[in-house]
Amino acid sequence: MEVFFQALVNGILRSGLYALTSVGLALSVGVLRIVNFAHGEFLMLGAYLGVFMFILFGLDPLLSLPVAAAALFALGLLIYRYSIKFVLEAPELNQMLLTFGISVFIQNLALILWTGDPRAISSFYRSLTLELGGINAGMGRFLTFVIAFLIITALYLVLTRTRAGKAMRAVSQSREGAGLVGIKVEKIYLYTFGLSAALAGMAGVMLSMVLYAQPAVGLEFTLKAFCIVVMAGLGNIGGVIWASLLLGVTESIVGTYVPQGTGWSDGVFFILILAVLIYRSRGVGQWFAQ
Amino acid sequence: MVRPVKPVLILGMLAAVFLALAPLAADPYLLHIIILILMSAVMALSWDLLVRTGQLSLAHAGFFGLGAYASALTVNLLGAGWWVSFLSAALVGGMAALGLGIIVLRLHGMYFAIATLAFTEVLRTFILQAQFTGGAVGVTLPAIFGGSRVAAYYLVLVVFILCLLVSVFLQKSRWGLAFQAIRARQAVAEVLGVNTVKTKLAAFVVSSIFPSLMGAFYIHYVTYIIPYEAFSLNISVSALVMSVFGGIYSTAGPIIGAVVLKILEEYLKSAIVYGYTVIYGLILALVILFMPNGLLGVMRRVAGGGRVGQIFRRAYGGKRTGDQD
Repeated sequence: MEVFFQALVNGILRSGLYALTSVGLALSVGVLRIVNFAHGEFLMLGAYLGVFMFILFGLDPLLSLPVAAAALFALGLLIYRYSIKFVLEAPELNQMLLTFGISVFIQNLALILWTGDPRAISSFYRSLTLELGGINAGMGRFLTFVIAFLIITALYLVLTRTRAGKAMRAVSQSREGAGLVGIKVEKIYLYTFGLSAALAGMAGVMLSMVLYAQPAVGLEFTLKAFCIVVMAGLGNIGGVIWASLLLGVTESIVGTYVPQGTGWSDGVFFILILAVLIYRSRGVGQWFAQ
Repeated sequence: MVRPVKPVLILGMLAAVFLALAPLAADPYLLHIIILILMSAVMALSWDLLVRTGQLSLAHAGFFGLGAYASALTVNLLGAGWWVSFLSAALVGGMAALGLGIIVLRLHGMYFAIATLAFTEVLRTFILQAQFTGGAVGVTLPAIFGGSRVAAYYLVLVVFILCLLVSVFLQKSRWGLAFQAIRARQAVAEVLGVNTVKTKLAAFVVSSIFPSLMGAFYIHYVTYIIPYEAFSLNISVSALVMSVFGGIYSTAGPIIGAVVLKILEEYLKSAIVYGYTVIYGLILALVILFMPNGLLGVMRRVAGGGRVGQIFRRAYGGKRTGDQD
């Protein structure tokens, strides 16, 4: 039973990063209606930023968070301004190909610049462990969960309480309607994309805290984040938290109980995606009706 | 649709003569490069078959690896001959496409794109984890035709011609019209009596059999493969970028793209060993922004008397140029 609770706690802690990454993706998909394949690459860049800030300036990863947020926000604005903006009206295929191209470009540029070797930082968060009733939690993982929770709460407040946040939600509901009441839709797109990148960047810094930075790490997170967004339903930010918990805990339990489970747990998200897609395409009602 | 013009026919005939006689003139290295170009052309052209219905597949690497492993295991575990192993690769690839397609092709295009990407990643995880596949060590095979490069060349040439014929058939027959209708507007296609799910499914299966065959050919040709190579995302990336660069929704575009980019890639590989794919990412983004109809689109406009500058302005204005044919 202790093993089970340990797996449960590990899964819950893991879901914090998933939720933070997915919330950014949900925001950009919800508002811009464009799947951003480069979302995981923003996270990867954030992770490298965390690593380099620590190595070069001895900056604590927690202090790198605002730096990464600002840097990725700026990068997001640039990418939107010089590429995404021009395919808003293009066929969906062109939109997907564009963001996929950006993703491939950033990932391989990182491979050339920083090689494929994983880079980790040895901050003191790794060595500390919290213990409660026989269940352990690494300090780093615990902190990522808490901070992810705080950032998502802040985002929720921004989206519900501020004019800018309300404008974003309005645009996600109806582009025309938002335009009619005087919201500058183009501006909202721009800032939403930047915000989405900033969220991924912060998730990346925390990834460098508990795991490592590596050029290919983005792809895995893009896929898992999309799995979560699909489970939650497009544009449903509250659902993202539950879906992240489901994915994190399932992965952790598969990793604990299935032989050679840590390898297999990488496939859990795919089963979840397929299950959700079958559910969405047929509708449960139809299954029972037949 | 553009009417076939005479220069194209002459070029085609010259290419046919060149391809038929290439082994007589080319030295082994050059022949190897031509084999790689033909493989890329099959990958790019087969990717285009599906995109004609408006679907973006990122599973070409998945089917390539699946074909490689299916054929290698057919030989190693069952002791079958090479052509049986090619059939088994095609069968496994086709069935996998059918299964995946039934689940995800009913939905909006973006679900399909992500599911195909995830499919590839999961296949690699599975091959790495399973016992009978050799895991991370990979699989080896004896060289096909006793290592005769000329024989291997003619084999890949046959698959290429097959792919070419399928592509032309799908373009000229009723299927081509159905594909066009679906990608223009699915709802209208349905009203016009096109069974959209079945049509997309057929396109996906046909489009997936060719990368499976190429995977089978590749393992027989180089005799050795590891999961990270067989399911590498770069395989899907190069196939789709070659196609988009040359010009999608056509037979000539992907072939032109494959010839140009494969030569460029071989050149770049010697300069940048890891990460040469960066150029594919860059080309893909730039082509979508500046010439969404690819090289073929540019050539058509130039041939049609249009000004080149106009293309760029129009593309950058974000018009739905991708839909025109």
